[in-house]
Amino acid sequence: MKRNWKKPVLAIMALSLVAAACGGDDDDSAPADTEAEAPAATTAAPAPSGGTITVTGPERDESEAGSLQEVLGAWGEANGVEVVYLGSADWEAEVNTQVEGGNPPDISIFPQPGKLADFARAGYVVALNDEAAAAAAANWSEAWTVFGNVDGVQYGVPVKSDLKSLVWYQPARFAAAGYAVPTTFAEFTALIDQMVADGGPKPLCVGIESGQATGWSYTDWVEDMVLRQHGADVYDQWVSHEIPFNDPRIVESMQTVLDLWNEDTVFASSGTIAATAFQDNGQPLVDGDCFMHRQASFYSAFIPEGTAFADGSEGAVDVFYFPDINGDKPVLGAGTLAAAFNARPEVHALLAYMATPDYAMARQKAQQALKGGGAALSGFLSAVKGQDPSVYQPLEQSMLNVLETAAIVRFDASDLMPADVGAGTFWTEGTSAVNGDITAQEAADTIEASWPTG
Amino acid sequence: MGDFLTKLWDTAVVVVIAVAVSAAIWVGMNLIFNQVRDHWSRFTAAAYGACGFVVGALLSGNRITRGSVPGEGTWDTIGSWLWLPLLSGVVAGLVGWLLGRVDARPARLAIGVGGLGAVGLFSGAWVSDAWIPEFAAVPLIVWTAIGAAAGAAASLVRRRPAAGAAMIGAAAGWLVGAWAAPDLGVGGSRAWSAVTLAVPAVLVGLRMALRPLPTLTERSVFDQKTRAAVFIGPALIFIFATLIVPTVQTILLSFKDRASEEWVRLANYETIVNDRKSIDVDGWSNIFTSRLLWLGVALLVVFAVLGVLGARRTGHAVELGSASMGPLIAGGFFVSLAVFTSLRGTIVNNIWWVVVVTLFSTGLGLAIAVLADGAPFERVAKSFIFMPMAISLVGASVIWRFMYVARDASKEQTGVMNAIWIGLGRLSTGREVAGTLVFAVVALSGLGAAIGAAARRRWARSATLVVATALAVTVVSVLWAALSPGGVRVAVGLVLTASFAGLLTLVVKPLVRGDHTKAFAPGLIAVLLGWFLLRYWQIVGDGLGGQRPNSSGETISDPIFFIQDGPFNNMWLMVVLIWIQTGFAMVILSAAIKAVPEELLEAARVDGATASQIFWRVTLPQISTTIGVVVTTLIVLVMKVYDIVKVMTNGNFDTEVLANSMFREAFLNLDRGLGAALAVLIFVSVLPIMYLNIRRMQREA
Repeated sequence: MKRNWKKPVLAIMALSLVAAACGGDDDDSAPADTEAEAPAATTAAPAPSGGTITVTGPERDESEAGSLQEVLGAWGEANGVEVVYLGSADWEAEVNTQVEGGNPPDISIFPQPGKLADFARAGYVVALNDEAAAAAAANWSEAWTVFGNVDGVQYGVPVKSDLKSLVWYQPARFAAAGYAVPTTFAEFTALIDQMVADGGPKPLCVGIESGQATGWSYTDWVEDMVLRQHGADVYDQWVSHEIPFNDPRIVESMQTVLDLWNEDTVFASSGTIAATAFQDNGQPLVDGDCFMHRQASFYSAFIPEGTAFADGSEGAVDVFYFPDINGDKPVLGAGTLAAAFNARPEVHALLAYMATPDYAMARQKAQQALKGGGAALSGFLSAVKGQDPSVYQPLEQSMLNVLETAAIVRFDASDLMPADVGAGTFWTEGTSAVNGDITAQEAADTIEASWPTG
Repeated sequence: MGDFLTKLWDTAVVVVIAVAVSAAIWVGMNLIFNQVRDHWSRFTAAAYGACGFVVGALLSGNRITRGSVPGEGTWDTIGSWLWLPLLSGVVAGLVGWLLGRVDARPARLAIGVGGLGAVGLFSGAWVSDAWIPEFAAVPLIVWTAIGAAAGAAASLVRRRPAAGAAMIGAAAGWLVGAWAAPDLGVGGSRAWSAVTLAVPAVLVGLRMALRPLPTLTERSVFDQKTRAAVFIGPALIFIFATLIVPTVQTILLSFKDRASEEWVRLANYETIVNDRKSIDVDGWSNIFTSRLLWLGVALLVVFAVLGVLGARRTGHAVELGSASMGPLIAGGFFVSLAVFTSLRGTIVNNIWWVVVVTLFSTGLGLAIAVLADGAPFERVAKSFIFMPMAISLVGASVIWRFMYVARDASKEQTGVMNAIWIGLGRLSTGREVAGTLVFAVVALSGLGAAIGAAARRRWARSATLVVATALAVTVVSVLWAALSPGGVRVAVGLVLTASFAGLLTLVVKPLVRGDHTKAFAPGLIAVLLGWFLLRYWQIVGDGLGGQRPNSSGETISDPIFFIQDGPFNNMWLMVVLIWIQTGFAMVILSAAIKAVPEELLEAARVDGATASQIFWRVTLPQISTTIGVVVTTLIVLVMKVYDIVKVMTNGNFDTEVLANSMFREAFLNLDRGLGAALAVLIFVSVLPIMYLNIRRMQREA
């Protein structure tokens, strides 16, 4: 029985590891339980002051992130908490990693309702408390709150709206070349042919590079084309996967966009469309390297500073509606939703504030000031009810008007699809197709195959 | 700034606490084991106490027992979960102290079984509702039997009495069967959960009590034997927790579905294999139409001819440094390129990366190490080549992305590579003058000579050279301005052709002497420059690239899309890693070359060996182990390549590699099963290399 004394130590360690292993197993299977337990304990406690609320999101431009920090920070100061906004180009990846690692932010601003729904179903984001849900319902029409609603429970508050079916152009340059703003898609393509034939600047500026999210500009074009060529019903079926992604009608729309983009029609400031950053299209538009750029309302944030907007002056930039085909004037919209990862009352109080017109107006003012004040466009837009329209510039007011009055408004399809597709293969395969590596049909087939089952 | 200081402070506090705790554990363990020889009961008390504390902490810290929920304040939190580990630690310590003193068997049995049993019973009764197991007889019996049998078998194999180990095994088996196997928190009784924990505790207590008190000799032996364990134990536990457990977890996850809920057997691996993105063999027939293949085959034919000739002379078709070696390697390389560019997909890309980066980094590193050895500029040159190692992969990728940038054809190019490419095109078609290049060459060579003179402390000469350089630049620029574009083209072309002729003599001379190695470097440059000149004088094609006619017939710039145009964009990404890793290979190989004993080289020289013979026959065999180390290290590194692809293309344009694919699946698409399967794939493909590495290390040790 000698020198056997290390065995007890090892045995006990082995036992404790067995215990740890059992522990580990069941921890995995019941994350929802522990999530639900912890908040229950804290809601009962009084709201502590002096804490920090971390808000993350993909908006990282100086004016966007700056105004968010300014407005949220001011609310925090008034309510005795510190609010920190962190914008990141790789928000999609980072928030996943943070959530997986059990270290999520307090609030994230989701550009994709699809991702918010994934997170809600996985139990990562928590439902709004009554106060925040009431604020969202009171200040936003159901057309917008529905995107934060998952299986009948409200998880997100809408905080920003974008109008995507817009084409940016310079009226003075159009007038000088004798071009008229197209009102139908046929006129639009005819105008492009005319511009090519005239041999001047290229008709379009296009660039789809966007870091982790490279390809989203292409998906926007495709969505606008699906709405125009096949109507809202097909669009809805496409989003909900009632028709497959490689349905001939969808492939047709994908192909239409690819056909519109070629060496003669597109100015790509980095040589190819796939290599050109989406932010890099404002400068060539102002410089006169191209006539038109189809991009959402927020693109005013990327038009070079000092550019005038729609005031009739030389060099001023204006927008026209991306023309339709069947006369039904469909509008592609998008927006962001804020949702919380825990049930701390002050976090939900902040969400309730973010749903109000006060927040929207404060952010509009702050962002406009950061873009240089005066008549500059902020790039921010909100469809929240009860705003004082005078905080917006005339051009922005007309965009809001389009959003409010359009008969057919559809949310960005890729943002509604499951993340595997909407923030995955639709982007990557679309990029390959734009780069000419694969055909539209091949891209659609691969995307369809990647649609998550069950 | 304040924010930064706060973070710095927080990090510092965490580091200090981590170091302090590690040191305390280590010192504490040593102190405990110091008691073995002379104060046995102190040792047993401390050891039992520590184990009791750890088991209690595992139960309480994982919120398995009731009451341990995070409170509002730090002390509340600690207080809510710390009392159970403290209690179990104290009771276990008491049991240990008594077992370390009492010698009578009945008393020992009472103490061991009673004490530990009480701890188990109490902890079991205190388990929270969600963790109470259901009673399930079958798994309980089966697992206990398995545990007991395993313990007994382990002892029997080592020719020890089986009973003790069987008891411990039964305790572990019981825990698995009673707690891990059945459902938890669905209506089991609290009495049963108490029994669940009490039985293994009793078994352990029984086992300990049955062991008599050790004699002084036994204690001394134990003291000595455990020292190694004390020292290596913390490291082993750390490795176990951070390496072995995650590895096993990952392998298990790879057999589960995307949410890690259900077992799907090999479905994830099937997905990888069947995915056209992983391996796409549709283009296999392109291998035979690829010019690369025929270039490779031609080189292999050259190898065959040279090999037959060589075999007639020396008896070997190929050996280190023989004339046939170059064509063999180059031919094989081009054939592999033909395969890699025709078969596409993530896995093919990974293999391509491994082949190219390993080959070029090692080859270039070796070449630089050899050629720079003993040269006057050796230190400076090696420092410069080593410098990229100091740049992070992400930083290097960003730098190279700027190098590769292309701009629209109508704009001036801002990326270095494309600026040179377009500039060459303009020069060779005489359309525009790339005077800057010529000025740069004149100015740099003049200044280089001036610096060289200064380094040799010939100050006057250096000053003269500086003045002369300025004059030369002026003269050249005046002459240059006087030349017509066509004249410039001819002037530059003549200079280049003259250099080509000079290079040829450098190639022919050593070849005549039979010194192939000396002819290699100038020969390679001559081939490249020759091709360049063929294009330059428009004997083949119409001028150097960078130009093309557009749809209306006028000549416009034609930048290369290094990052977007497949499949060779993969090679341009590899350049980044080669750029970084060549320095690594060079430093290691250079050290090895310098360690080759001077006597060996001396002996070879006395025997009349040429420099190249010495390198191939003496130096290379001497450093072959080091080359092996470099190659295996590089392969492992390249298999994991992620940062470069992530930053430069993010896997777009057919440049996806396994590691980026794994990240995408696991963290963007949240498909943990597929992500884990990809991780396992990388792990498994690195394993053989690791095995070789470890075996060599053991041989050397």
